[in-house]
Amino acid sequence: MTQRWGKIAMGKVVNDFVINVATANGTGSQSSNLVILHSMFEMGVPVSGKNLFPSNISGLPTWFIIRASEEGYQAPGDTTNIQILMNKDTWLEDLEKLDSGTIVVYNTDVRLPVEREDCTLLGMPMTKMARKLNPKLGRLMANMYYVGALAHLLDIDEIAIKKAVAGQFKGKEKAVELNIQAISEGRSFAKDNWDFECQFNVEARDKDPKSFLIEGNEATALGCIYGGVNMLSWYPITPSSSLAESVIGWLPDLRSDGNGGSTCAVIQAEDELAAAGMVIGAGWAGGRGMTCTSGPGISLMSEFIGLSYFAEVPGVIWDVNRVGPSTGLPTRTQQGDLTLLYEASHGDTQHIVLIPGSVDECFEFGWRAFDYAERFQTMVFGFSDLDLGMNRWRTTGFQYPDSPMDRGKIVRSQEEMDSIANYGRYRDVDGDGIPYRTLPGSGLDPILYRGTGHDEEGVYSEDPQVYHDAMSRLKKKIDGARTSLPAPILREEEEKQVGVVFFGSMENTIVEIDDILEQTGLSVSTCRVRALPLHPEVEEFVERHDTTIVLEINRDGQLYGIMRKEIPVELVPKLNSVAYSDGMPPRARVYADKILEVLKEVVK
Amino acid sequence: MTVMKLNVLDLEKSEYTGGKSSLCPGCGHDQISNVIIQAAWENGIEPEKIAKMSGIGCSSKTPAYFLGKSHGFNTVHGRMPSVTTGANLVNKGLSFLAVSGDGDTASIGIGQFVHAIRRNLDMVYIIENNGVYGLTKGQYSATVEKGSKKKKGNPNQQAPIDLCAMAINLGCSFVARSFSGSKKQLTALIRAAMSHRGMAVIDVISPCVTFANNDESYKSYNYVKENDEVLHILDYIPHFSPIEEVEVPEGEYKEVSLFDGSTLRLETIAADHDYKNAVSALGAIHEAEESGNHVTGLLYYDPEVPTATDTLGLTETPLVDLPEELQRPSRKSLDEVNSGFRS
Repeated sequence: MTQRWGKIAMGKVVNDFVINVATANGTGSQSSNLVILHSMFEMGVPVSGKNLFPSNISGLPTWFIIRASEEGYQAPGDTTNIQILMNKDTWLEDLEKLDSGTIVVYNTDVRLPVEREDCTLLGMPMTKMARKLNPKLGRLMANMYYVGALAHLLDIDEIAIKKAVAGQFKGKEKAVELNIQAISEGRSFAKDNWDFECQFNVEARDKDPKSFLIEGNEATALGCIYGGVNMLSWYPITPSSSLAESVIGWLPDLRSDGNGGSTCAVIQAEDELAAAGMVIGAGWAGGRGMTCTSGPGISLMSEFIGLSYFAEVPGVIWDVNRVGPSTGLPTRTQQGDLTLLYEASHGDTQHIVLIPGSVDECFEFGWRAFDYAERFQTMVFGFSDLDLGMNRWRTTGFQYPDSPMDRGKIVRSQEEMDSIANYGRYRDVDGDGIPYRTLPGSGLDPILYRGTGHDEEGVYSEDPQVYHDAMSRLKKKIDGARTSLPAPILREEEEKQVGVVFFGSMENTIVEIDDILEQTGLSVSTCRVRALPLHPEVEEFVERHDTTIVLEINRDGQLYGIMRKEIPVELVPKLNSVAYSDGMPPRARVYADKILEVLKEVVK
Repeated sequence: MTVMKLNVLDLEKSEYTGGKSSLCPGCGHDQISNVIIQAAWENGIEPEKIAKMSGIGCSSKTPAYFLGKSHGFNTVHGRMPSVTTGANLVNKGLSFLAVSGDGDTASIGIGQFVHAIRRNLDMVYIIENNGVYGLTKGQYSATVEKGSKKKKGNPNQQAPIDLCAMAINLGCSFVARSFSGSKKQLTALIRAAMSHRGMAVIDVISPCVTFANNDESYKSYNYVKENDEVLHILDYIPHFSPIEEVEVPEGEYKEVSLFDGSTLRLETIAADHDYKNAVSALGAIHEAEESGNHVTGLLYYDPEVPTATDTLGLTETPLVDLPEELQRPSRKSLDEVNSGFRS
């Protein structure tokens, strides 16, 4: 397949290339990479960035992939057009992987051979120059010189760079000045010493003045704050810690009562078990409690999750998925926790899972999760992942909640209690499987909540019929949520040949996958699932299409498994699984090829 | 003829009782339940303002047997402190009364116990300590003394975890030990704990009549009765009727002022115990242990420790009572957040 080179003018490739920056972590390279990303974004260039970092604080290899794409593609590209070499540990490996013709910008002070005569080799003594500029900060500053090199090669606007640096080092005047100086020295060096005209170029586009880049975790955090979170309990774990820290960062501005009192308690728990217990305690007492974690935390929280389901206590848990099983690849991405969330805890359980695919949805589902939790009196999961949570994505601004807080069926006065005929804490009075509840402190129908078997009044019971009826009502309650939860996003073709069902952060790669598939002459529709249990529209989508691919970033096809179990049996033969996970953010070509392989078998 | 007695809220004691116990007849835990009922009634706490918390085990079943007018939560094994923490943070207006056992607290739940103390969670934490797992039919727990022997099996070989010593080391603001058979002492201690603001740990030796009430068991009725080293005679003087209830003793005594204005009077028996000094409290525990005794009374008290909600800088009003406009920031604020990112 040929590379799609975007618009070519005067032999130039404009706004369509991939840069790979190889550094070691703890060297300040993240700042440099974000300056490149934001300066291009400032110019209106459609750009995305992926940070591939190790589980380590200092010294291990890190790569940052920046992709400009006039088509708006956000996945890492198939090839690297410009390679920045800073890290001696991966130097030779990084060099070896490059295609012929790649532009290689390298730090000559690393003093390692650069033997790729088939590539364009551009050296710069970055460390020396940085030490000269500032002897103390030389190691950190060296990275700003490759920013200068790229600014020269790609023709990045100087004002955009200044704005990006100012944004990166907000309020630190000295740092802003020093970094701009380094970038400008890098730019001058490249101009004066490199006799090379780069075929890749950035060109300013009309930037939507409303747009900005933000990490998914920060978007979720803001959503939670606007959802009225009262209690955040958390235990540090990559890649969810920045969600909690972002809530903590925003609370003083957004959740103060005007007299210095905070309207949200934050507690760093002793472990994930305690974090989950605190969420349940808060929900039981009538507050909006949440925690955020990743797969290992969910495993630890599982017993409490079952308690929430069975005793019907609202709560919110955000899972920012990383690669499992066990400690797995803690700094890499995956959609491997879907089944874990949907059926967490022992016995028969089923949980509501909200699955954002964009930072806008991270914000929206952040506040909605609390409404669903209180409406359905159960644990509600937000399901994000490292790619969505820790990388920066574009938005034009978050939308204010369009409905007041839904506190669900809480009886707050004797009058309300008297109006409910035949009240019982666990009695289905309205026929929707959702009972009424009272809060501690109210004095209204107090009961002892329990994880043991209980009858409709909340009294301990081991009666077979009572247990069976209680479990049936819980099933009915969660089933009833299907149509209230976010419906799937459908992008359908006239000809209903192939339907691709996917979810979550795959949203950022799906357009490119779809384009690759359609280049082969296929007609491809897509359906992005946004919640579990499945909305009925998912089943209808499958029914309308000749064949369905269930596409996901895991090994076993977890959504595929859920769909097989839940859609009518006559539709099951239409389902095909394409599941693949290697820890990397999904690359379009890899998944498109796997889909084509499967289709070869089914589409005649 | 029975005399109808009302408490300070004009409530009968029956307003504080619960369901019928399903524990073994003679269980120490039932005596503790009765003392809890008595203490809550005498202190005149509104039953609906109490939240009963427990984990899993024989002891943790007891909240069903007292304070039927109070909400409660029988949570999961060893994890009651975290549920209490969440509830306390969003509603500090509730009085948390927790019951746990030695298995629940000293083994599976020891991490949560420790951290709840570190945070000085505002709660009464009663451990009904019998040295065995009752519900699973008599395995040793981690609080059983070296050399102590339950009804069946060999004597315990491992060193015990002393929950009071541990609590004192962690700076717990109220630490006491008592015996389910010492009704007067236990009532005074639970009443004082209810008047305290912060974490009040009361380790109550509560014999298991089924699996460990033989004389070789250090937590049997006979053993505790013979080896109870009482630190002082306790009288609780409520803030609402300071004079009527208690006679002034003839000998020496100290008065401990509690958060709600009530007083705990400690009447010296033999040696004077300095409850303000963690070292002497730990000394008393270790000396008793060496001679095979159980030291009972108020071991340690420090009213100055800030509580979990104090340190978090929360609103005066409990979070659950805040209006929506204080929980969801304004539309204007979101506009400002958005434009802040754009600049």
